[in-house]
Amino acid sequence: MRRLPLTVFSLIFFAFLYLPLAVIVGYSFNANPVNMLVWEGFTLDWYRGLFGLDRSFDPQSRTVYVESTPQMLAALRNSLIVAVSTTCIATVLGTTAALALNRYRFRGKALWSGGLMVPMMMPDIVLGIGLLIFFTSAGMRLSLLTIIIGQCTFLTSYVFIVVQARLAGLDPALEEASADLGASDWVTFRKVTLPQLAPGLLGGALLAFIISMDDLVITYFISGSGSQTLPIYIFGMIRRGVKPEINALATLIILASVLIAGLGLWLRARGDRK
Amino acid sequence: MPGPLLEIRAARRSFTTPEGRDFAALDGIDLRVEDGEFVTLLGPSGCGKTTLLRAIAGFEQIDDGVIRLDGADIGPLPPHRRPVNTVFQSYALFPHMSVARNVGYALEVRGVARKSREAAVTEALAKVGLAQFGARRPAQLSGGQRQRVALARAIVAQPRLLLLDEPLSALDRNLRQQMQIELKDLQNRLGIAFVFVTHDQEEALTMSDRIVVMRAGRIEQAGPPREIFRAPKSRFVAEFIGETNLLPAVVRATVGGMAELSLEGGQVLHARADSLRPGAKVVAVLRPTDLAPAEQGLAGIVRRVIYLGADLHLRVEPEGGGGEIGVILRDAGRVPAQGERIVLGYDPARVHVMEAGA
Amino acid sequence: MTHRQRVQLFLLLTPVTVFLGVFFLIPLGTIAVYSLLTPGLYGGVEWSFYHWNYGRIFGWADGITEVFEPVYLHILLRSLGLAAATVAICLVLCYPVAFWVAGLAPRWRMLFLFLITLPFFASLIVRLYAWLLLLKPSGLLNTVLMGLGVITEPLDILYTPVAVILGMVYIFLPFMFLPLFASIDTLDRSLIEASGDLGARPVQTLLKVVLPMTVPGIVAGGVIVFIPAVGNFIVPDVLGGAKGLMTGNLIEQQFLSSRNWPFGSALAMVIMALVLGVLLVFSNRARRAGGRT
Ligand SMILES: Nc1ncnc2c1ncn2[C@@H]1O[C@H](COP(=O)(O)OP(=O)(O)OP(=O)(O)O)[C@@H](O)[C@H]1O
Ligand SMILES: [Mg+2]
Repeated sequence: MRRLPLTVFSLIFFAFLYLPLAVIVGYSFNANPVNMLVWEGFTLDWYRGLFGLDRSFDPQSRTVYVESTPQMLAALRNSLIVAVSTTCIATVLGTTAALALNRYRFRGKALWSGGLMVPMMMPDIVLGIGLLIFFTSAGMRLSLLTIIIGQCTFLTSYVFIVVQARLAGLDPALEEASADLGASDWVTFRKVTLPQLAPGLLGGALLAFIISMDDLVITYFISGSGSQTLPIYIFGMIRRGVKPEINALATLIILASVLIAGLGLWLRARGDRK
Repeated sequence: MPGPLLEIRAARRSFTTPEGRDFAALDGIDLRVEDGEFVTLLGPSGCGKTTLLRAIAGFEQIDDGVIRLDGADIGPLPPHRRPVNTVFQSYALFPHMSVARNVGYALEVRGVARKSREAAVTEALAKVGLAQFGARRPAQLSGGQRQRVALARAIVAQPRLLLLDEPLSALDRNLRQQMQIELKDLQNRLGIAFVFVTHDQEEALTMSDRIVVMRAGRIEQAGPPREIFRAPKSRFVAEFIGETNLLPAVVRATVGGMAELSLEGGQVLHARADSLRPGAKVVAVLRPTDLAPAEQGLAGIVRRVIYLGADLHLRVEPEGGGGEIGVILRDAGRVPAQGERIVLGYDPARVHVMEAGA
Repeated sequence: MTHRQRVQLFLLLTPVTVFLGVFFLIPLGTIAVYSLLTPGLYGGVEWSFYHWNYGRIFGWADGITEVFEPVYLHILLRSLGLAAATVAICLVLCYPVAFWVAGLAPRWRMLFLFLITLPFFASLIVRLYAWLLLLKPSGLLNTVLMGLGVITEPLDILYTPVAVILGMVYIFLPFMFLPLFASIDTLDRSLIEASGDLGARPVQTLLKVVLPMTVPGIVAGGVIVFIPAVGNFIVPDVLGGAKGLMTGNLIEQQFLSSRNWPFGSALAMVIMALVLGVLLVFSNRARRAGGRT
């Protein structure tokens, strides 16, 4: 009886969540080059333009807005390099930290487990300028390397939390049983802990990857002129004005994120079933 | 003559409570286990049974004392270097491995070749009656089957000593009794010494060669089941093992191995006991099953009659006062009525006398 | 702990400690140091103590070396207000929905939880861009509202604080939803029935049973939304314009255009202090409300 208004409210809530994304996707196929907010028909021109494929544009009527496809592709490449590197580093650092805090008792443990969450909680602008000051004072040129280092600080926190949660859910008796049956610590880790941990590890790594691909604020402060990433490239485009190609690019990004997130969820569901 | 298989001397282990106080979970444990022996650790919750087992397995370090296996100090050895295996209460089967791989794990990590490993796994699974189940995952087994897999896994590498921490507590009553028998059989066949932890005194009595009763980190009494049951050294042991009547009394006289005790209400109880000093305050231990209606004995009024399946339980108030006495009649010819006067006979040899302070 | 375990612990903990020590703690420390240094004439800094960076913000500037400009305090307060409003709106929107999702059959629950988290994975900048399109005077929102006859003139929301709040609410909704859902989901439904059984009207049950028991989730969600909101600079940059400027934009300007790093650091220190204050106060409160956790 009171269920109905609640359901209606919730469905509106979800519409609110998805409407903006749907609008972008819709606009990305709108042929109207002058006012992209007025529908004029279906086109794939913006996607073609995005990849520099469409040379048939008449510069008078249809301006080719994409500044340069090579620049966009370079940004994408940078993003991928950064995301892959940070994912690897943050996964190792976060996992070792989680193992240390889960498997051993030692003094100052609370300090560590609290401290490992702080990078995640720190407002990104504060972390961004802190790293900027640090890198310039240390005489490091801003580059992909500084971006990778900077992102690893807070990505480590995310991986730590995900892996920690998974570890906490594991039965410590399994590791004891393995040792009891004659396996050394390393063999136990390889044959018992790691296979059990795999879903958490994958989940943490995936989360790190997605957040890294998406990071804007911290990267914004510590990327040099030659090391733009994709979000920063888009940010720049938007600042210079709204253009139809952004819709196409945004649509592709949404698609990619949905695919990766779906993959992550599927992996997690599979891990839970085991 | 060779020494004992396992020898523990003056083992101590303290934990720090959250409030920062030290608390001794093991408070000076001395224990010997002979080769092939079935020893049961029995005691109330928190008395240190698990801690002792974990110290033997190597999961806990003792702060003080020594643990020797076959004469060698194993204290410094990590768990995987001790020839001791454990059957965990939760079974701790690896969920990501098949039953066969679980069972073969101890051989796998020792680098045993696949062929001989498979043979050993098949044999171990056959021993626990699960020959057909090798390909399954632990999640696809029932509780009793998991229990057997855990057992097979722990014996496959032929340890010198098997530790079992309440292995049957997760099973229902029927299965539990069946497993008790199987476990005992298996132990006889393997000839491996077992150290078995349980809460259940009946289980301890039926399975063990020797029972070790623990209390607050110490060993209260150790001995064969019959001795623990018949001749408890303290009120604690007497009460922990089975239902019992503890009757405070004073020794009146001792004549030729027979003692005459005067109960609180003034009635007289005879016990077969030497070396009792007249005038000493004692406690007489009398099992409810050792009492039955007779011509002579303790007189009292039946206060309550309770049917419990085949057994008939009576609560009898002794004449002259004193605490109620419990009686269990296995096959009661005539059922006494409530309020009726009854005389309870007993065999003086079955009356155990211990000092009042114990 | 045995020697072996000590070695393992050392090997596991050292890399992360060194890494975060060097690349997280030291950078934060340098902000604190910079906030007390003298701004150089052309960018740079001079290594002498200078408390006027804070004086400019809080009002003890002497009027000669530095001038007190109330606008900074004003923008700081606006940031606080916008962040608080974002938290409040997120809470009001998410609470009923979390309740609804918690009551669904397991399969539907999974679906809707997935739908909540999905936008979080779709690029932040893309989602903000979407609102830029929606809120334009000629954008979808105005078109629809005018088409429905709700308004006659296009609403001029874009580049106002309202747009900033809308954007932040949209972006931070999942942050609020998940902790709220976690605490609502673990709520024992029989308590609600018991309350009704004892004669409480639904509103009373909500106020006296449900809300108090979900305080940990509310607090956690609030903190998780407030922290990134109060220092945000992307949302006001894209949607806020001059009227929706927040402290984050000020900081960004000091670093990337005005090149007054010490002053920017002082502003960042204020934000950091706010965040730490909120964390300290509320993590304690959440713990107390949540009993043992
Ligand atoms: N790691 C630990 N830290 C602190 N105290 C502990 C730890 N392990 C055990 N203890 C304490 O030591 C005492 C003995 O515990 P133990 O687990 O050996 O009891 P137990 O006899 O096995 O009990 P149960 O029959 O309930 O299993 C308990 O009071 C317990 O609280
Ligand atoms: Mg125990």
